[in-house]
Amino acid sequence: MSAPAEKTVRKVPTYCYQCVAGPDLLTVKVVDGVATEVEPNFTAAEVTPSAGKVCVKAFGLVQKMYNPNRILTPMKRTNPKKGVDQDPGFVPISWDEALDAIAERLKTVQARGANDESGYPRIAASFGGGGTPTYYMGTLPAFLASIGPIDFGFGSGQGVKCYHSEHLYGELWHRAFTVAPDTPNTEFMLSFGYNVEASGGVCGVKRHADARARGAKRVQIEPHLSVTGACSAEWVPIRPKTDAAFMFGLLHVMLHEQRNRLDIPFLKHRTTSPYLVAPNGFFLRDPATRKPLVYDLSGQRAVPFDTPGIDPALEGSFKVSGLEIGADDDVWEHRLEKVQPAFQKLIDHTAEYTPLWAGRICDVPHKVIRRLALEFLDHARVGETVEVEGRELPYRPVSIALGKTVNNGWGGFDCCWARTLMACLVGALEVPGGTLGTTVRLNRPATDRNLSVKAHPDGFMDYPMNPTDKAGWLAKPDVRNANRTLIPLVANSPWSQALGPTHLAWMQQQKAPEHWPQATPPDIWFVYRTNPAISFWDTRQITEVMARFPFTVCFAMTADETNHFADILLPDATDLEGLQLIRVGGTKFIEQFWDYQGFALRQPVAEAQGDARDFTWIATELARRSGVLDKYVKAVNRGAAGVPLKGENYDFSLADDEPPSVEQVWDATCRAASAEITDGAEDQGLDWYREHGFRLAPFPRLKWYLYAAIEDAGLRFELPYQERLMRIGKQLGRRLHEHGISWWDEQLEEYDPLPEYKNYPEMWEKALERNFNVDIRDYPFWAVTARSMQYAWGGNAGIQMIREVAENIGGHGGVVINSGKAAELGLADGDLVEIRSPLNATRGRVVTRQGIRPDTLLMIGQFEHWATPFAKDLELPSLNKLVPMLLDLTDSTGSGSDLARVSISRVEKAP
Amino acid sequence: MSADGKPWLQAHWDGHVAVNFLTGGSGSGLLVIAGLAALAGQPLALASWIGLLLVAGGLAQVSLHLGRPVRGWRALTNLRTSWMTREAYAAAALMPCALLAALTDSPLAGMPAALAAAAFLYCQARILKESRGIPAWREPRIVPLIVLTGLAEGAAIYLLILLPGAHTFAVLVVGAVLLAVLAARYVAWKQYRTALHGRAPRASEEVLERAEGPFTGAGHVAPVLLLLVAAGVPQAQGILATLAAATVLLAGWGVKFAIVTRAGYNQGFAIDHTPSRGSGTGGVGSKPGW
Amino acid sequence: MTRYVMVADLERCVGCQTCTAACKHTNATAPGVQWRRVLDMEVGEYPDVRRAFVPVGCMHCADPPCMHVCPTTATGQRADGLVTIDYDICIGCSYCAVACPYQARYKVDRPAQAYAEGRMRNETNREDPGRQGVAQKCTFCIERIDYGQAHGLTPGIDPEATPACVNACIASALQFGDIEDPESNVSQLLATHKHFRMHEELGTEPGFYYLWEDQ
Repeated sequence: MSAPAEKTVRKVPTYCYQCVAGPDLLTVKVVDGVATEVEPNFTAAEVTPSAGKVCVKAFGLVQKMYNPNRILTPMKRTNPKKGVDQDPGFVPISWDEALDAIAERLKTVQARGANDESGYPRIAASFGGGGTPTYYMGTLPAFLASIGPIDFGFGSGQGVKCYHSEHLYGELWHRAFTVAPDTPNTEFMLSFGYNVEASGGVCGVKRHADARARGAKRVQIEPHLSVTGACSAEWVPIRPKTDAAFMFGLLHVMLHEQRNRLDIPFLKHRTTSPYLVAPNGFFLRDPATRKPLVYDLSGQRAVPFDTPGIDPALEGSFKVSGLEIGADDDVWEHRLEKVQPAFQKLIDHTAEYTPLWAGRICDVPHKVIRRLALEFLDHARVGETVEVEGRELPYRPVSIALGKTVNNGWGGFDCCWARTLMACLVGALEVPGGTLGTTVRLNRPATDRNLSVKAHPDGFMDYPMNPTDKAGWLAKPDVRNANRTLIPLVANSPWSQALGPTHLAWMQQQKAPEHWPQATPPDIWFVYRTNPAISFWDTRQITEVMARFPFTVCFAMTADETNHFADILLPDATDLEGLQLIRVGGTKFIEQFWDYQGFALRQPVAEAQGDARDFTWIATELARRSGVLDKYVKAVNRGAAGVPLKGENYDFSLADDEPPSVEQVWDATCRAASAEITDGAEDQGLDWYREHGFRLAPFPRLKWYLYAAIEDAGLRFELPYQERLMRIGKQLGRRLHEHGISWWDEQLEEYDPLPEYKNYPEMWEKALERNFNVDIRDYPFWAVTARSMQYAWGGNAGIQMIREVAENIGGHGGVVINSGKAAELGLADGDLVEIRSPLNATRGRVVTRQGIRPDTLLMIGQFEHWATPFAKDLELPSLNKLVPMLLDLTDSTGSGSDLARVSISRVEKAP
Repeated sequence: MSADGKPWLQAHWDGHVAVNFLTGGSGSGLLVIAGLAALAGQPLALASWIGLLLVAGGLAQVSLHLGRPVRGWRALTNLRTSWMTREAYAAAALMPCALLAALTDSPLAGMPAALAAAAFLYCQARILKESRGIPAWREPRIVPLIVLTGLAEGAAIYLLILLPGAHTFAVLVVGAVLLAVLAARYVAWKQYRTALHGRAPRASEEVLERAEGPFTGAGHVAPVLLLLVAAGVPQAQGILATLAAATVLLAGWGVKFAIVTRAGYNQGFAIDHTPSRGSGTGGVGSKPGW
Repeated sequence: MTRYVMVADLERCVGCQTCTAACKHTNATAPGVQWRRVLDMEVGEYPDVRRAFVPVGCMHCADPPCMHVCPTTATGQRADGLVTIDYDICIGCSYCAVACPYQARYKVDRPAQAYAEGRMRNETNREDPGRQGVAQKCTFCIERIDYGQAHGLTPGIDPEATPACVNACIASALQFGDIEDPESNVSQLLATHKHFRMHEELGTEPGFYYLWEDQ
């Protein structure tokens, strides 16, 4: 017998971008060609905020690759009937057959025109994970760009599962698609349900741990004691959906009890606080220049806001003359009319929002609210400065973060406004230690927030609103969620469609609202890395709609609840099997603001399993077979795969007359990336990146803080008064009414210049009573959800190891209920219960915890799978099944909240 | 496993191992009693055969539970600190002695067997006591309890062996011995329970609390009454003594089975303090399940 | 003298189980076996509740009960404090498992298989028949420590010489090092933080410290 051969061991660098809080760099140990271990990339320890580490999800990738339930050949459906109860009858087919079938369909469809009779794109595509699928789909974006308009509106969670209001208002106010504390520098954080220890990725977890170690204080305000609450210095169990009242209470203390402690110079010169508000609610303007007026205390007269050397009044009433311009250029001339600065309006507006008032709404002692307002002020260090890369900036180490359900759906506007305003009151917006935006998606360019700072004539940042004027308004929606028609604030960037009122796309497949085109199903629907049959709401309705889509192509890992309705399944190379170069660093989602930026490579660590193919190969073949190869290659050359292949000093463009190989595409991309990062001096290709994994160059920290760009441009933050929103809201209302549409009227009410608190819990209760004809008292609990670091966005409910380790964390086993309440109801750990909302019911096991309000039930993550292998045996409940898609519960940004009223009853005792 | 730190029922030692404590305890107890009785001229052979079979059967059960039974001999290699090794040596001595006693029926052979059996029984008790991960086992008062339980079972079995056609006086003596051992076993049980109170997970104590009634009633009160009545009613002596012995035996087995397989909650986890979490302050600790 | 210990900063730990997963990868443990894991403990009653995440595993005690009870001497203790198991000697009696007050020991009789549908390539690739049917537990990644020492590296500092859970910990909550060296990372942490060891009253002198507040 010969001695066993020495094993060959390699460590292959790659990245993990399974969630938006990435990317993180890692290495994979490969033994005899088999991926065995995930490890940090220690060479990146000094240059990435995650110190070269990855979170628990990345460790699931090995099982994801070798999962015996994987689909490893293309498949086609043989059962023409689609339904939950129908066996799709998938049978293996060759790649040729699969791709030709898709290409044929594409050609047939396109021959009939890009849009269908309702005016909607014939081709639709849904991708999950907040944009992260882009980092796994190779050149698919180039293919999509080459085949014409695509409807991205069939959401798989966006709008209802994202930080929706934050995305829209954040971009408006401070180019902040996502908002985060300047955790490396902050001292005091108010966190309203921001579950950073579960959703902030490695970077977020590490930075907050460092912050705790240096003595920073974080207060978690949330109905249950989440992982983040656990890691906070204090937990305030607030009644669900009353966060806006809490924040208004904080504003009241700051504005009415502690006004002298605010950052007055910041308010006067870096916000629109001094702008005078005319009688109809619009700014009073200089008749000559049409610029908003402020009242100069030194000159005792109203002057345009940008007059040098003035001391604008924040408070008081002044009799002045001027012009007021309303919706659709309505104009009023005012002569010596009594007007007030926006700040005075704000003071008056918040007078009734006392901590006592707020405390009663939030079920929180009013003393706690007042104390937290005072602590916020104590830590704000108003007046202090700090030097960043040679530039002096205000230093305000206080911040506020909002979580899901707080900043989406009704009340989200109020919360985002109050949060941003609180920062402004102490000058803590976009300055060291304060509250920062970290990425832009709706404004351009998306690569650099600072470059997106462009001036509006009124002295704040311009914003690419979708037109609401008569000439420009898009009366006939061009995609099924009507984002450009209904949501001016969502703009029209490549990301905007995904941020339309997503449930509208699904809902109107059942029944179109009045005076609205009857929505058609897409002729072809592409699905990748998402499972809306589990991850959206009213999953029963979603599956009914999917079953009617005539031709669905799913890129498939294993069988799941969405690809159950597919006509073709395509097995793509998974995370550890595919090749792709992406941009990393700079400022990105959540807390990903880096000191470096550059590129990272994802590469096959071992041979792809079965007949799974690299995504770029699939995209190229689809383009070739669909007859759009030249357009596709041109799109790649333009940068649709992430990096333009041609720059000032270099040109690595691919020939567009023959299909490039996967390696050719990424070698050219690597060379272009090297050239870009070195201004054309170097051109290392794929081999270099395969060996090194990433390449970074310093990113100036000054770019973390938009304040510098705002100051350089002489601009102001558009707070507190929302004159512009009020105008577009009125215009939008007129347009809709002109077309006979009144079903969006409640949403139009939200275009308030200063948000007024509404009884949000009651809105939910009434909407449910109205739509389902129930007595809400029969549903005595609020059901909420929370993110799980182990599961969120990983598409890993079918991964055994993830399940195993997730079970170590309380609440992953079922329905979390307050221990005392459970005892009162005679429920014990492990009892099987039914949670019923007016819409539907879900089942799970009881998990009793002390750390949850007695009126609240918690269901972590998104489960109740019925097709995904392994996951379907988990017996876990899901809130998604219980939450209805209702226009009544859709806010003006097209968003809703993960919230339901439910009852609980025992089905069987614990075994 | 528990995720919240609460103790859970150990699963390392299953029914196979428990059987060793049941039959091994009874068998070694029987060999001790029989060895002593042989000195008084009572029969030894059958008791030795039964004792031997019980001990060997228990050890065979244990070997079924071993992950690597082929290497089982290695259990003899840590005499210095391991009571399991010592038990193995005691067993190794017990087997030939008991066999010899069984074959010769000689009081001279009975004594070495009794001594080895006593050592074996003591080792069993110490094995449990040294299981420091299981609070209900590590309590020192478990040693007399296990030893006396084994002796009581041994006496009970010996009584059963003696009954058919035995001399009434011998039955009375053995019955009296059984009564004395029972009294001692009861005291040991109560002392064990008292000592354990607050020093084991609540779940362990609850199991023992549930065992308290049956063990006291069926294991002590009933046999004592039966034996006393039997002493006064010679015509029913056989059946009553048989019943008494059976209850002693079954109660002993029951309580040991409960201790090993039902009360064997592990230590669980505890923290002395909760962390300060930033500028907060640390809080009190927790020892869930205790 | 050297004694290697683990330090877990409870203030930092977020209970994410990255260490648990990293350990599972590095040591190819079977489903259900977690040499390192993190507990999720609640203290108090609503609304005065705290929640702490507590990493646990073999504490590499100075006076290890598991070693004393082992009938085969398979469980041993090195001069640097590591409590070891010789898989070639262990008979799998599990006495050590019931002797350990930290529930750190496991025994697996079958090859690892996460899915009923079949064994995965990574599972067959890493199968170690020698570890079946015997006691197993956290080794403090002993191979890494030995590798490090052979190559002049410092355990706890150089990743190649440091336990995988420590390397992987995204909150830097887990630290590893020589407590006998007053200059070591762990000694410095213990000097600047209030700390405790679990079940100190049992006298096992665990080599695992929990930090809970700054000094």
